[in-house]
Amino acid sequence: MRVYQALLTRRYLFSKIMPLLAAVAVALCSAMVLIVWSVMGGFLAMLVDSGRTLTGDVAVTWSNVGFAHYDDLIERLEGDPMVQAAAPMIETFGVLSLPSGRQETVIVRAVEGASYARVTDYEDTLYWVPREQPMPKDHEEEDWRLRSHEVWAMHREFGLALAEPGDDGVLRPAIVPGIAVADANIRKPWGGFVPGAPAVAAADGSFRFHQQAIFNDEVTLYVAPQDEQGRVLDMVARVFPVANEFQSGLYEIDRRTVLVELGAIQAMLNMNEGRRLAPSVAFDPFDIGFDPETGEERVAAPREFVRDPARVTTVLVRGVGDGRDPRPLAQRVREIYREFAEVHAGRVPPEGDGMGTIRIQTWEDQNRTLIEAVKKETALVLILFGIISFTAVFLVLAIFWAMVSEKTRDIGILRSIGASRGGVAWLWLRYGAAIGLIGTVLGLAIAFAVILNINAIHDAIGAIGSAFGMDTVIWDPSIYYFARIPTEIVPWKVAVVFGGGLLSSVVGALIPAIRAAWMHPVRALGFE
Amino acid sequence: MSILRVEHLSKTYHLRREPVPVLRDLALTVEQGEWLAVLGSSGSGKSTLLHLLGGLDRPDKASSNGQPPVIDFQNHRLDRLSQAALDRYRSRDVGFVFQFYHLIPELTVLENVLLGPMIRRGRFAYSAHKREAKDRAESLLETVGLSHRLGHRPAELSGGERQRVAIARALINGPKLLLADEPTGNLDRATGQKILDAVASLRAEHGLTMVMVTHDPVLAERADRILRLEQGRLQPGDGATHGRGVPGSGAEVGAAKDHA
Repeated sequence: MRVYQALLTRRYLFSKIMPLLAAVAVALCSAMVLIVWSVMGGFLAMLVDSGRTLTGDVAVTWSNVGFAHYDDLIERLEGDPMVQAAAPMIETFGVLSLPSGRQETVIVRAVEGASYARVTDYEDTLYWVPREQPMPKDHEEEDWRLRSHEVWAMHREFGLALAEPGDDGVLRPAIVPGIAVADANIRKPWGGFVPGAPAVAAADGSFRFHQQAIFNDEVTLYVAPQDEQGRVLDMVARVFPVANEFQSGLYEIDRRTVLVELGAIQAMLNMNEGRRLAPSVAFDPFDIGFDPETGEERVAAPREFVRDPARVTTVLVRGVGDGRDPRPLAQRVREIYREFAEVHAGRVPPEGDGMGTIRIQTWEDQNRTLIEAVKKETALVLILFGIISFTAVFLVLAIFWAMVSEKTRDIGILRSIGASRGGVAWLWLRYGAAIGLIGTVLGLAIAFAVILNINAIHDAIGAIGSAFGMDTVIWDPSIYYFARIPTEIVPWKVAVVFGGGLLSSVVGALIPAIRAAWMHPVRALGFE
Repeated sequence: MSILRVEHLSKTYHLRREPVPVLRDLALTVEQGEWLAVLGSSGSGKSTLLHLLGGLDRPDKASSNGQPPVIDFQNHRLDRLSQAALDRYRSRDVGFVFQFYHLIPELTVLENVLLGPMIRRGRFAYSAHKREAKDRAESLLETVGLSHRLGHRPAELSGGERQRVAIARALINGPKLLLADEPTGNLDRATGQKILDAVASLRAEHGLTMVMVTHDPVLAERADRILRLEQGRLQPGDGATHGRGVPGSGAEVGAAKDHA
């Protein structure tokens, strides 16, 4: 390294417009990649957080018929220092009959409100709750939750308890559907909901509007109980008052999931605690006896009963800490379940890896399909933008090629004074690195400015577009599920973009640098 | 004592695959401290000769009679030096002055002169000797009458001033040999004479050997010895020489050998 390279790099940088154009190209490409990466990363993070919102960290699952003695399992889990809380749940499919007459197939999650709220962020997802400040884009303050706080406070309590008092004042099991299940609310441009009046169609082609807000209404839920062998029996229906609605932020969950009080669903699915005939006593329909009171003939009553414990399909577990890496917790839950299964051998599914063993999954495993899809999309988008950004390399190459041509005589002069080929090459590589450094730093500054203000920029573009009668709102909250464009700034991603921008410039300068180094000094001196 | 000895020096260019011989089996000896003028018309190969002597170009591998070339500078065979060694030779032992000055337009007068030490020394060595280099550059520029122009860019100087900067740059590293290619070719006669005065003064002051190529016989007259380059071969010049080049001196012996 020689001093003349640093001096000439400095002087060349600010004496011409061309190198600054190259720096701008590098800046724009760096900014573009970082912005896209940040938005896609933010989208993924939001998706993951939303996915975790209602699942806890680890789930112990035995689908369909469920498993018994879950209270004991929960007690064992909550006694472990790695576990913060555990909660029972039944997950099954159902059909929801809505006040508008529509039928929706739904995923039914039957839970105890209190324990479920300890394991998940359920309380935060309840939508109809009092709100002090309007949402950022709710400039007209249309949000109903800003007023009548006592009503919404009541709905919050109903939602948390998954129960609502009837006309007689007695609490009845209630249902809390996802915010998009009933399709009874109108999504506003500011990203929130107001109750709507869905149309109810009749067979003769006429229709009327159902004016009742969903959270003051009732729905009928149909579920299919199974016998002990898992065979589906006749569907059972029950009317539930709607206590509230929830918004997890993940459309697939909010569109298809309803939360219902656990005890009610256990009863509907015959999974509640009950008395049944002991397996040792065979029921004989031809065993005829006489009723001692009336003296009439009847089928002989079974003589031996056992207590059948209540069952659930799932126990949700929340660990201590942020739960970002739930694998150690899953391992611990597995160990605890193994002890539990040994105590209740023959009455609960065994722990293991093969078929016929209990399933213990992290929240990542449960949402793998969705998360992996977004991860793949992020990678794909990054590759595409990376390829586009690769044009910066060629832009730098083209500009440097032209500059080396322009500075051919300087190269001859330097060689005549004793500069080596390596020295001349290093001068141009250093120059490329300087362009890359300026461009990348500028690009990162642009990217930070855009990322930190992306929603304001987006709103401004929308406002300008509307002023000219054009629809320039790209991320419309009434269409997309997130009210705000999600972003994240991750230091290692910033470092990768910085390094990439710098490397692109050096790679772009490499060929012109080699060309400069191999120029014949005499021909370079004679260049005009 | 000779500082430079050349034998069997040939250079052939290839234009559209056609060989164009420029120098043919040329021999030359330059004595220590001598001022040699090579006189020749345009295209006679004067500049090519200078480029070969300065290590900017390489000669043909063999002359027309099959003899390998010899360029001996103080017992070092330039024709056998590696590229890196040639770079060092240009940096330490030779100073170039070109007809078109060849200054770097983005650098100031002082920085153009300091390029020599910057290239010669590494970053740390230069930093250690920066003061010394700057003093020497300022002293040289004062000698050529440009002490008031240190911070100016070449574009702000006249032709004569630019050439004086080029001379200061050529001398900054204390070379033993100064190669001047039509140093006044781009200047009016009066300015050219002043430049030559400056060169002559510096040459005397630093004990330099100088090879100057020119097409101007009047300028060549100031040299110790004149050789004429015609059709790629050196011939003794017409003009009388003076100083070290007077008849009977070592330079004459060299001149007699030169046209062989």
